[in-house]
Amino acid sequence: MIKISPDELKVVAQYIHDISGIHLDQSKSYLFETRLSSIAEASGCSSYRELQQKAKQDPAKKLERAIIDAITTNETLFFRDKGPFELLQHKLLPEMIDARTPKSGMMKTNIRIWSAAASTGQELYSIAIIIKELLRDLSKYNISLLGTDISDAAIAQASYGKYNKFEIERGLDRAVLQKYFSLFGDSWKIKDEIRSMVNFRKLNLMQPFTALGKFDIIFCRNVAIYFTLQDRTKLFNKIADSLADDGYLVIGSTESLTGVCSRFVPKRHLRAIFYQKS
Amino acid sequence: MESLTILVVDDDPVIRRLLQQRLKNEHYSVMVANDGYQAERLLKKQHFDVVLTDLVMPGDIGGIEVLEITKELSPDTEVVLITAHSSVDTAVAAMKKGAADYLEKPINFDELFLRMDKIANLKSILKSAKDIGQAMSITEAEAASTIQNLEMTVAKLQTRLDEVETALRDRTKAEDERIANAIDILTGE
Repeated sequence: MIKISPDELKVVAQYIHDISGIHLDQSKSYLFETRLSSIAEASGCSSYRELQQKAKQDPAKKLERAIIDAITTNETLFFRDKGPFELLQHKLLPEMIDARTPKSGMMKTNIRIWSAAASTGQELYSIAIIIKELLRDLSKYNISLLGTDISDAAIAQASYGKYNKFEIERGLDRAVLQKYFSLFGDSWKIKDEIRSMVNFRKLNLMQPFTALGKFDIIFCRNVAIYFTLQDRTKLFNKIADSLADDGYLVIGSTESLTGVCSRFVPKRHLRAIFYQKS
Repeated sequence: MESLTILVVDDDPVIRRLLQQRLKNEHYSVMVANDGYQAERLLKKQHFDVVLTDLVMPGDIGGIEVLEITKELSPDTEVVLITAHSSVDTAVAAMKKGAADYLEKPINFDELFLRMDKIANLKSILKSAKDIGQAMSITEAEAASTIQNLEMTVAKLQTRLDEVETALRDRTKAEDERIANAIDILTGE
């Protein structure tokens, strides 16, 4: 494994922050080494400085994408942490459906949900499964589910909806697995009825995202933890702009908005907390 | 490392006994079934780490069906097929259906033990990963509950501070009355 020098650490950390918003401090040199060493070697670089320069000069951004894929943490699972999903099922969705159902019976109920750090798609598919289980007949609804992530590799897997048996065994119970996935060789693939409910696209949360429009429910879990306080504040201010006035925000269960963004107030429901605009 | 539990399924009594004996000598815990039907009954009764099954057996339940039944009843059980050289294509098709591996006849026992060793290693790594995952979940849940309580407390205090500020800035009242009101809010009266 190629070692990283303190000087390189500074330059490469700055570069990673520029391309992804991810803040890696000096204490995390092992992260650079374990995650970037093989990319450096594969592209014929003998140092991280060389890798960074090569990546910066590559107009096709192939190396940059590889670095983002390697440095982002795609630790996710189906129904990771039951709290937010119970919250969605028993509180947020029913209330949002009430709020959005038009008075005249002819119009469809429009609801937009965004998984802002979708990773390999498990969170958004879990949301889609909950919606399908709760509403059954979706013909009266117009529910749009968007998943975004900065990593091309993660988005590619999410779009394909195929998970190996280790990914699938974590968090999913047998009944749900049999109902919404089909065995595909040694892996499992999400069925079309769920796949067709969702969309995935690449997005860097450091960049403006007003073009995505307004959302009724936003999940932004366990991604801001990789950002500096300043970047977190910027992110949650942008999220506040993208959230409907009566919309709901769900963040990671160990995250907090105290001292980060004062535009949200926390509300408690059973074991979970959600946020609304103040 | 715990020893693997293996179910051997073969209609040939000689091969069955041989497999049972050799695997037992390697300290694996072994049970045998004469055919697919008996295998199905055993699989319904208890969990096996590995099913080692002949591909071609008389009756409606052959090796492929044993594979399907096993995966249906217990997805984490690994299935290894034993096949004649001529049915390697079928064995490869079975791998696509979730079989872990296949062995050609005549059985090379070193190869068999190597495969079992690999499966045992994988199982043990998976178990460690699961243990770590569980430990992480407990820590995370504990941290979440602490953070959430703090988050709600801070929000409540913030609201109260805002009320105090409003009370203190209330120009319609005299200064000592404003202070008295602020103190009332602070002391929760």
